Amino acid sequence: MAENKDGLNVSEQNEPLQPNYWRSFEDLYRDPALLEESHHEFKEGVKEDFNPSNLSGMSRRKFLALIGASAALAGAGCSDYPDKGEIIPYTNKPEEITPGKANYYASISWADPSGTGILIKTREGRPIKVDGNPDHPVSKGKVSAQTQAHIMNLYDPERLDSPLEKTTRGLFTKSSWQNVNNKIISALNNINGKEIAIISHKVQSPATKKVFDEFISKYPSAKVYSYELFNSQIRNSAWNKCYGGESFPLIKWNKAKVILALEADFLGVGEDKVENARLFTEARNVTDIKNFSRLYSVEGNYSLTGMNADYRLRLRPDAQYEFVMCLLNEIIKKGGSRINFDAQIFNNFRLTNFAEKYSLDAKTLNVLIADLIKHNGESIIYAGNSLSENVHIAVNLLNEVLGNREMYSQESAKVDLLPLSANEDWGSLISSMNGGRVGIVIHFGSNPAYHLPADYEYASAVSKVPVVISLVSKENESSVISDYVLPDTHDFESWGDCKNRTGFYALQQPVIAPLFNARQKEAVLLNWINGNADSFDEKIYHQFLMNNWEQNIYPGLRSKIKFKQFWYGALHDGVVKSFDSPTGIGTFNASVVQSLPVSISETRGYALLLNESPFIGDGRHAHNGWLQEMPHPVSKISWDNYAAVSESTAIELGVKNNDMIEIKNGSRSLKIAVFVQPGMADKTIAIDLGYGRSAAGTIGTGIGFNANLLMSKNIQFSPWLYSSVSVSKTGGSYKLVSTQDHHKFDDDMIQDLHYKRDIIQEGTIEQYLQNPKFIKEKHHGPLKSLNPFYDYTGVKWAMSIDLNKCTGCAECVVACNVENNIPVVGKEQIDKGREMMWLRIDRYYSGSPDNPKTSVQPMLCQHCDHAPCENVCPVVATTHSPDGLNQMVYNRCVGTRYCSNNCPYKVRRFNYFNFRDYFKNGYQENSIFALLHNPEVTVRSRGVMEKCTFCIQRIMEAREDSIRENKPLKGSDVTTACQDACGTNAIKFGDMNDQDDQINIYRNHELGYVVLEELNIRPNVTYIAKLRNIHTEEAL
Amino acid sequence: MTVDYSKELPVVEGRLTLAQIEELVATPLDTRPDKKFFIALTISGSLLLFGAFCVAVTLLTGIGAWGNNQPVGWAFDIVNFVFWIGIGHAGTLISAILFLLRQKWRTGIARFAEAMTIFAVMCAAIFPILHTGRPWLAGYLMPYPNQHSLWINFTSPLIWDVFAVSTYFTVSLVFWYIGLIPDFASLRDRTASKIKKIIYSIFSLGWRHSHRNWQHYEKAYMLLAGFATPLVLSVHTIVSFDFAVSIMPGWHTTIFPPYFVAGAIFSGFAMVVTVLVFVRKIFNLEQIITLNHLEKMNKVILATGMMVGYAYAMEFFIAWYSGVQFEQFAFINRMFGPYAWAYWIMVSCNVIFPQLFWVKKIRRSIPWMMVIVIFVNVGMWFERFVIVVTSLHRDFLPSSWGYYTPTLYDTGILIGSFGLFFTLVILFTKTLPVVSISEVKAVAEGAQPSHHGGHK
Repeated sequence: MAENKDGLNVSEQNEPLQPNYWRSFEDLYRDPALLEESHHEFKEGVKEDFNPSNLSGMSRRKFLALIGASAALAGAGCSDYPDKGEIIPYTNKPEEITPGKANYYASISWADPSGTGILIKTREGRPIKVDGNPDHPVSKGKVSAQTQAHIMNLYDPERLDSPLEKTTRGLFTKSSWQNVNNKIISALNNINGKEIAIISHKVQSPATKKVFDEFISKYPSAKVYSYELFNSQIRNSAWNKCYGGESFPLIKWNKAKVILALEADFLGVGEDKVENARLFTEARNVTDIKNFSRLYSVEGNYSLTGMNADYRLRLRPDAQYEFVMCLLNEIIKKGGSRINFDAQIFNNFRLTNFAEKYSLDAKTLNVLIADLIKHNGESIIYAGNSLSENVHIAVNLLNEVLGNREMYSQESAKVDLLPLSANEDWGSLISSMNGGRVGIVIHFGSNPAYHLPADYEYASAVSKVPVVISLVSKENESSVISDYVLPDTHDFESWGDCKNRTGFYALQQPVIAPLFNARQKEAVLLNWINGNADSFDEKIYHQFLMNNWEQNIYPGLRSKIKFKQFWYGALHDGVVKSFDSPTGIGTFNASVVQSLPVSISETRGYALLLNESPFIGDGRHAHNGWLQEMPHPVSKISWDNYAAVSESTAIELGVKNNDMIEIKNGSRSLKIAVFVQPGMADKTIAIDLGYGRSAAGTIGTGIGFNANLLMSKNIQFSPWLYSSVSVSKTGGSYKLVSTQDHHKFDDDMIQDLHYKRDIIQEGTIEQYLQNPKFIKEKHHGPLKSLNPFYDYTGVKWAMSIDLNKCTGCAECVVACNVENNIPVVGKEQIDKGREMMWLRIDRYYSGSPDNPKTSVQPMLCQHCDHAPCENVCPVVATTHSPDGLNQMVYNRCVGTRYCSNNCPYKVRRFNYFNFRDYFKNGYQENSIFALLHNPEVTVRSRGVMEKCTFCIQRIMEAREDSIRENKPLKGSDVTTACQDACGTNAIKFGDMNDQDDQINIYRNHELGYVVLEELNIRPNVTYIAKLRNIHTEEAL
Repeated sequence: MTVDYSKELPVVEGRLTLAQIEELVATPLDTRPDKKFFIALTISGSLLLFGAFCVAVTLLTGIGAWGNNQPVGWAFDIVNFVFWIGIGHAGTLISAILFLLRQKWRTGIARFAEAMTIFAVMCAAIFPILHTGRPWLAGYLMPYPNQHSLWINFTSPLIWDVFAVSTYFTVSLVFWYIGLIPDFASLRDRTASKIKKIIYSIFSLGWRHSHRNWQHYEKAYMLLAGFATPLVLSVHTIVSFDFAVSIMPGWHTTIFPPYFVAGAIFSGFAMVVTVLVFVRKIFNLEQIITLNHLEKMNKVILATGMMVGYAYAMEFFIAWYSGVQFEQFAFINRMFGPYAWAYWIMVSCNVIFPQLFWVKKIRRSIPWMMVIVIFVNVGMWFERFVIVVTSLHRDFLPSSWGYYTPTLYDTGILIGSFGLFFTLVILFTKTLPVVSISEVKAVAEGAQPSHHGGHK
């Protein structure tokens, strides 16, 4: 065949062959004209052969340049285009980042003071969600509300953006790191033997401790002081006196058959609350009914623990010592003691007298005594941190008497790297400051001006110190009285390690570069140790941490792999096993009993109890809108603290809700709003600390009342408990807002409606053992419907919530807020009843205001099969999916609110405003807040209805994965955010059409019920009825 | 008093001649507006502007400006809507149903009542759109083909509302206009002003008072009256479905359609009486809109008021009889709950005070009837408030209960809707004949052949 280069030199004569395919007769008969044309494929466009010289003189390069320039011009000219955000694909894609895929990194959060093992979810390099690290032996995948919401602190637009220096006029000016560091280093070098005081929170990081050690060796006059507003110092010192160990052991809450909590909110507050709740509810399992534990609570405040107690007695906290001694006396008298013991010293303490004096219910006391004796060795008495040392000693003794040693954990114990400074240390520091013997004070991430008891007068003492430095990420009460304020990085931008328990170490790694011009406080200290402000290196602390591990920690870990490999593995896991174990529990020092007072001291006046706030903690989370807005788990009050009093105390004081009272504790006083809290002990006032911050940014400043002002350095019982406090009504009022209506207890019309309406269905263990179907029997059975049932053939999503495990802590609510981009609406909107949280914890009281029986119930969209919201929407903006979800189509919603009106659970939330814009003048519209949002969840605009979606974004992700991997979608592939967050695993989610799915165990459980069943709207959320472990009337 | 029942009472009093009737009705249109007119217009216009300001704020910031909240998704917005739709019931009832029933006395008041209907529906029409969170998307409520294949939800009563109200408005407007044509022609023939003549000529559609004209007119009017009659019943029935179709206790009631219609006629007549008392005085129409007219309307108010009272009682009975505890609670809560004050205002204004109309003296006394009809207006507004707000604020789960407090903007828009209504009424009195000239002429004494030989 002739060579055929361009198709033009093919000779017809040479190749008379007919084509074997033809498009027309001309083609078939090989019409020459057509043949000629067919050689020019692009005939109409190009007649001539290609000749570059005939083409336009414009080069390709120039053409592209012109296109680019005109596009740029058009872009600049039309710059009104609303979306100014840039979307630029990666030129060089980072190895580990795939757009649209989340990455998870193990790290540590210090939102709880002793460090929590976390897993940070990042999308395209920005952290968007925090969950517990499942490998972490303490968190086991579950973290507190504070840690969940910690992500908002990362994107707080009010974080400090550059070092600040106070001018002679007392105002702060921005400065450079180099300038400030130079000045500070020269001040450190010219200290002339004066003290350098480093004031820190609790130190749980070996590397931080090492930094302090090196700092002290470089500047020998330096001293480290550490504090926590809430601590276990008294508990630990009592333990030390009784058993000799350093710190109080961990409790096996899951093993105890009987738990007696004395003014102890071990489920509601404190750094161990998530772990405690998990262990506690392990023994509240409906599938293991024989091993149900019984919780007694004797307390003055109405705490979350008290709310969950099977039996609860009201007792003012300053009478607890007498109560424990009476218990000891009674138990020994009844022969319940497992040790030989001279019971002479208890003779003064008679339980019957005591019960009469404080009008405690004798029946309950009898049951308690009988239970403690019956379950000796398997019970635990646990006193709250706020009780005096004597109570703790007496409680240790009581546990010893009952032989409850087994309930103390032997596997793991807390580790105190650096004991908190004692009261005497603070006293001497303050007097040194006042005496001019302190040259430099460094606030190492701490806020002593707010946290230290008011009568130290820290602010005035520190004003006598020549150089005051604050290393903090946001302004606080201590930074505003400092000379230098250096911005610290957020935990998620920092390196670190943590040693808070025996048995393992945890590691902290940054997951995002510092968003602000901030430096990690440890790195700043290292820089000062270097003594050269110019030599700062970003990696300085990272390197230091690694070196410390390589030299001091790695050798003790018996690792068989090289350090570098080990290090990356450790960072990946976040946790490293270590081989230190608890020292064990020594023998009880009987002589300590002799030191206990044997006479009864009468309680006088009002008792004042200062508690940790369940969400704001010691005030360090006051900047966090999500946490401020969380309704208190018991009172449901949001955005404030208050003085909780009992009904009869309120009558005695002549006050009602929102009235102002003045509390005088010695020379200190505070005016605060009253809230009448059912279940409070009479003559007891309970206040949450952490509020009333005077320098906590737009969100936290001026929220609530600063009850720290009532604290004293002179300890009567403990720093948190005062007796003989005087209280008076001042007149005036202050509006407290709550997310749940407060109605009168004794109103016949609405009393116990939650029982009458079968919203809350409950029973007792005995009832269940006698008749396991007692809940099911109440049900109507299958109800008929006029409407045809849709046949759900594939996956059908359902949720079940075990009310035996739900403590009402509301960690799920925070997780939902973070996952689903829920805005903060502010106090004024909460007052109007427009909170936006998709998930709420309903709390119902029954019984008398003095001894309320409380039930909690997480309430979220029930995804009804016959959803009443769906058929009333005029524009079909809310629809049902084939997998049983009730869906919201935001784009289609015009906002008639008819769906919400017709929802019997009132779980729909309406955007009455663009709340992000409305709240605090668009605080949440700050561009940095956009980084916080979960990119998989639409940010809803004004005028749109929204509600729980069962985390549809997670369902869709699992569905995509299953399609990609070509395997069927299973119920266990999806977990909702609330389920992930639930510390007690009360929430189960899965596919009800899959008989193997664990959801069906709960859905079909005898105790399962749906709320408002008679409406026949077929909700897909099943509640497992709560069983109270109480004796029935006959048994009492 | 001795009454001769063998003879119909004259509808028009004072033996007015046909020319006098025309003169009486047309005078306000021929004279320039006086000072009083402008004062009245200023007052109602100010109210309207205040309402417009509140609407503007609402549109700018969102309906969070109102007091609506989580349990109470609907409040003043829907209360006002139902209230105004109710007011709009008297006009068509008087002009259509009473026309079909050959009630001659209706002629004196039909025009005015019909105008009020149209203005009231206009006031009501503000709210369905304004109450949505995103009023700029109100078009989504209309079924129109679109490339997203999105369709409206025909099972939603709100969609039925859209059609019911717009149909009612259209038919009422057309009916009103047809009735106006002969009057436009009379005015065209009377006026000396060129501009007026052009306007009247256009609107009178070439009316020549011919037999053929009258024949067509009577037929068309009759047909439209037949067409409008079912609408009087259907509109409020459908509005009541907004509530009856839901599952909320206090809303989910089958008695709602007749109860709402009776209530609407009740409130509509009260509003017509309220306005007519002033109009007949100001425009010297006492001989055309006579005390007899007012008395007859008061009788209707008395009758419908008792129907409403019966409905209130029946609701309670059914709640008790059904044995549904949510229903029972909803009604006990109305009487003794946080909104009990609204309930008792409603009962006293709607059921108790109208009972005074049993007394003939009170029925015929202008001051008495003024007080009572204003009570009825207030009471009927509160009836809707009780239905909407009290039912919503405490529903199934006690945890989600709340309390609704109106804000400045809620009240401002309510006041503004009254401003709009009265502004339109005031403008109407100076632009169109407030009484149907042709119809009144037809029922004037001597206008019809009679066995008594005409004029006596």
